[in-house]
This record gives sequence, structure tokens and C-alpha cells, in this order.
Amino acid sequence: MSDAYLSMRDPRATDGDHGLIGTFRRGSELIILEGRGLSRTYRLGSVLVSALDNVDVRIERGELLILQGPSGSGKTTLINVLGLLDRADRGEVLLDGQPVSGMNEDERADTRRDRFGFVFQSFNLVPVLTALENVEYPMTLTSLSRTARRKRALETLNRVGLQGKEGVRPDLLSGGERQRVALARAVVNRPRIVFADEPTANLDSRTADGVLDLMAELRDDHDVAFVVATHDPRVASRGRRVVNLRDGRAFGEP
Amino acid sequence: MNIWLLALRNLLRNRRRSLLAGAVVMVGFASFALAGGFMAQSLEGLRDGTIRSGLGHLQFADPRGYEPGADTTLEHGLTDAAEIERILRADPAVLEVLPRIDFVGLVTSGDRSVPFLGTGLDPAPEARSMDLADTLGAGRWLQDREERGVVLGAGLAAALTVEVGDTVTLLATTTDGVLNAVDASVVAVAAIPIKELDDRYLATSLGLAANLLTAGDRVSRFVVVLHDVGDDRPALERLLRALDGHGFEITGKTWEELALFYRQVRMLYMGIFGFMGAVLVVVVLLATANVMLMAATERTREIGTLRALGTRPGRIRKMFVAEGVLLAAAACVAGALASLAVRTLLNHSGIVLPPPPGVTHGVPLHIKLYGVTYLAGGMTMTLTMMLAAYLPARRASRMSIVEALAHV
Repeated sequence: MSDAYLSMRDPRATDGDHGLIGTFRRGSELIILEGRGLSRTYRLGSVLVSALDNVDVRIERGELLILQGPSGSGKTTLINVLGLLDRADRGEVLLDGQPVSGMNEDERADTRRDRFGFVFQSFNLVPVLTALENVEYPMTLTSLSRTARRKRALETLNRVGLQGKEGVRPDLLSGGERQRVALARAVVNRPRIVFADEPTANLDSRTADGVLDLMAELRDDHDVAFVVATHDPRVASRGRRVVNLRDGRAFGEP
Repeated sequence: MNIWLLALRNLLRNRRRSLLAGAVVMVGFASFALAGGFMAQSLEGLRDGTIRSGLGHLQFADPRGYEPGADTTLEHGLTDAAEIERILRADPAVLEVLPRIDFVGLVTSGDRSVPFLGTGLDPAPEARSMDLADTLGAGRWLQDREERGVVLGAGLAAALTVEVGDTVTLLATTTDGVLNAVDASVVAVAAIPIKELDDRYLATSLGLAANLLTAGDRVSRFVVVLHDVGDDRPALERLLRALDGHGFEITGKTWEELALFYRQVRMLYMGIFGFMGAVLVVVVLLATANVMLMAATERTREIGTLRALGTRPGRIRKMFVAEGVLLAAAACVAGALASLAVRTLLNHSGIVLPPPPGVTHGVPLHIKLYGVTYLAGGMTMTLTMMLAAYLPARRASRMSIVEALAHV
């Protein structure tokens, strides 16, 4: 796993120079996703709130990157922008070195489908679908045959330890089981990055540990990078690389 | 996950709401089907009444016979009527051929003289094919082609103060322009539904009319009754070709071309039905769009999730439209069953409606099973539901994913 910290900002940097330290310490072929000078401002009533302020970040293949910070620090906004759920006001997101700013909504949707997985704090499973169907859903957006989809969904559901729960609707699953289904759904399309926004916030500590262990295993299994936003120091302690965020700004590795 | 199965599950998610929306569509469909069936039945009744009032399915006359301004009686009449009748009868689609002589004159009784609009006709086939013989208020229908009897409109009989059995004198100008008169006995008084016609109506046998007018083997026109009204256009073309092949220069018209009143009533009905249909569509659209909007709003976060997972906005819209189509299909089937049940109930209720225009007696309520309205109703309701589902789906699919995911 990379120990390169790629988003620490050099205080001597000037405009137009993001002042990245050690950008190429590791081979650039390892970099999957890169955010350069990302800024995002929201309007809250009559007040403009800066959720991200000139943030640089890079994600390498198979790594676990922790975005740590208190509520309102910009973790979710950064995940949203990097995960192509939102657009930055300024700055650029590069996927495999290619800017994504020119993509239309359909292309962004296809990129999310093929390259990214998402895990949400509240699980966000589709209530009318069973556990198996929830896992299968992202594959229904691809050209995979029904048989192949079903087989892979079953395998993935088994991998997260939910054998026997295939036909159960989410409302009959425990919180930990739901998050396992969400994890299975996130990795089933073999993405390169899984974005997890406070994935353990709604779980008790024991269940949370189980989910974090599972994430680590899946990361190893699928060589998929995990970007985890958390304000929980216990979760952050699992990351080899941590980006601290405060008031929309990224700070050096702790 | 098949988009239709997902749509079905979403519909079943909130059954009460789906039932409510479905009930609106069902009532809309049933209303559409019943109103359409009633309209079709009314128009069919009016059509048959128009045809049986004397118009027939087809009419043949000299091309100038349809134009006003003849100088003398039967100036544009058809000569060699027997041969024309033979040609017309030879067609297998033809049920009856009714020769008619139209003429005007004065009818006199005692010191009263009243102008009349007369028709000379062949009584037996007229009685079989037309309604006039069934609408006599007093007396009997003419019995043979040469009978010296007349049937008078009730208004005309009243103006003359004559009754059945009295004798009247008919005065008219012959084909040579000479005034001629014949005596005839009043065999019946008929109640003609149109008052202006009732005050002038006179029917007599073809023989008496020919005798009065010295018409010989000449008639004004031929009225043709077909086995099936749907054959009118091809039969007309076929008969005109046959007549032309025998050297007759004759033109023909279908009942619909001649029935101005029917066409006006049909236009009126179509306008009323179209307006009612538009109101139904608006009501169904407003009611169901609100329900679909609620469904879309409740599922905002779910839509955000699906989009985050890579679902294109277009697929989100399709999912909602599929729900609309499924709901409309189920509701239309239920509406069809409901309308069939209501139709059966009404058709056996014995309700009698007031007489329609041109008819003297009330008609029993009968709602026709008119497939076109079921098809049109189904399509209209489905399109309405698709629109009702599309509008909120469009809004939902365009919403920012971040806002959708944050929706509570």
C-alpha cells in the first residue's frame, strides 16, 4: 500500500501552482483519481458557505484513504465531487489522467456505474428489492446477462457473509447486515474506487469493526481503493493515509 | 431487475395510494367507455331512423334532379324506370328498390285547399323497409301500387278538416304543364315528427301519382335499401357502373351525403363527447399527477441513490413512466369490467329516454358495446398516466444527486 501523501499543500505555493508535495513520489500509473484545486461553495439562505477550498487530493490503486474531520469540514462534499455526484465550482477532477469536466450527465452516470462504488451512512438500500436484488441492481445497468448477474451477486453476497439472506428485504435486516449488503452492492461491478461516507456512523462499535474488517478484505480481494469519510478516530486509525479536513481545507498528514 | 417488475413493486409499496390513483383512472375509463357506447348507440339509432324515415341507403336520380329549379313536373325524372329497377335489383347487396315520384300540388276538401308535398310510392316494399307505415295515427297503410288512396300528415289533415275515409281532390301540373285533378280517399293520417313537413305531407300510390301527373314510366328517383349499411359506398360505385354500362346517365348518393341533419347531430355529439373526454383527461391528469408527484417526492433519496449507482436520468424517467403504464393498464382492465357491469345493469333497467330529434316516441336506454371507445379510452388513459408519471419523474431525474441524497 502506498505511503505517499499526495494532497499536502506547500504553504509557499502560489496561485496556479497547487504546491503539491511529492506528487510523483510514486509512479503516476498508480494514480486513479486526482482532484486539483477543488472548490465548492453552497448558498445557505443568503450566506455563501465554502464547503471546499482549493483542495488537492489523489487516490491510488487499492489504497485506503481516510478523509477525517468534524461535521461540516467538507468530507462529504469532497467525496461527492470526486465521486462525480457533484461538480466543483473551481478545480478539476482527473480520472486516469483525463479531466471529467467535459462529461455530460449520462457519461458521468456511466463512469459512476463502471468505476465507482458508493456506501452511505444510512445504507440507502432500495426497500422494494431483496438483499440479492439490491446487490444485483448496479449490474442491471450493464450488458451482463441475467445469469451472470445473479451468479456474481450471489457470490458477492456470500463474500460479505450474508448467505441465507438473499431473499430478505432491507427492512428485515439488521443495521450491520444492511451495510454489508451496501458493501456488496458497492463492489459487485468491480469498481476501482469505493467511496464510503461515514459507513459506520449508524452502527454499534462491534458491528462497525466487522464492517471495517470486511472493507479491508474486499479492498484486498478486488484491488479496489476505498475512500472513507469519517469523524471517528478509530476508523481513521485504520487508514495508511489520512487527509484532514477543516472548514473545507485540507491539512497535512497527521 | 426488470424495469417492469421494479415498477410493479413500487406500485405495491403504497397500495392505498396506488389504489386511489387506479380508481381515478378506472372511473375515467369506465365513464369514457359508457359515454362512448351511449353516443355510438344514439348515433346508430339516429342513423337507422334517418335511413328508415324514407332516405334509404342509396338514392339514384338524374344528375339534374339534385339541383333546384325544375321548370315542369318530372322534368328531370328517370325514364325507363322498369329497366333501371331491374338493374338495381340484380345487385346481391340490394334488399329493396323503391321508386318514388315527387310532386307538389293542391289538395282540396270542400271549400278548403292546401298546398302539399307529395310522394308517389310503391306501398308494399315501403312498408317493409321504412318506418312510415308504422307511425300511422289512424287508418291503414296503402295496399297496392295502383290504389287511389292518400296518407296525409296530421297537420295537413287538420287543415283540411278531413278524417280517414273522407275523399279529397288532388290538383297538380302534369308533365305537359297541364293542370290535372284526381279524387282519392284518405286511408290514413300519419304523425310526421317535423311539423313543417307534417303540415304538407301527402303520400299516395305510385300509380295514382303517375296518373295525376301523366308520368307514364317515369319516376323522380330510386331509393335503394341494402342488406348492410356498411356496404353503401361500394354498392353505390358498383350500381353506378352497372347503370352506366346500360347507357343510363344517372347519379347516386349515399344516405350520409343526403342526411344533413344526421351529419349536424353527429358533429354536435362528437363535440360534446370530445369536450367531455378532454375534461375527463384533465381531471384524471390532475388527480394522478398529484399522486405520482407524492410518490416521486417520497422516493427522492432513493432516486438519488439509484443515480449515484450509475442509473441514467432517462432510466429514472422510464421507471416512473412504467409505473404509470402498469397502473393505467390495470385500471383500464378494471374500468372495462366495471363499465360492462354498469352497461348490463342499465340495459336491463327499462329506462326510456325522451325521443331524440326527428323521432316521435321515446327510446329505451341501450348502451352499445363499442370496442373503439374501449380502445380509445385505454389509449387515452394510458397516455394520461404516462404524462402524469413523466412530469414528476422528469423533475426528480433532473434534481441534483447531492440534494436528492440529503432529502429527508
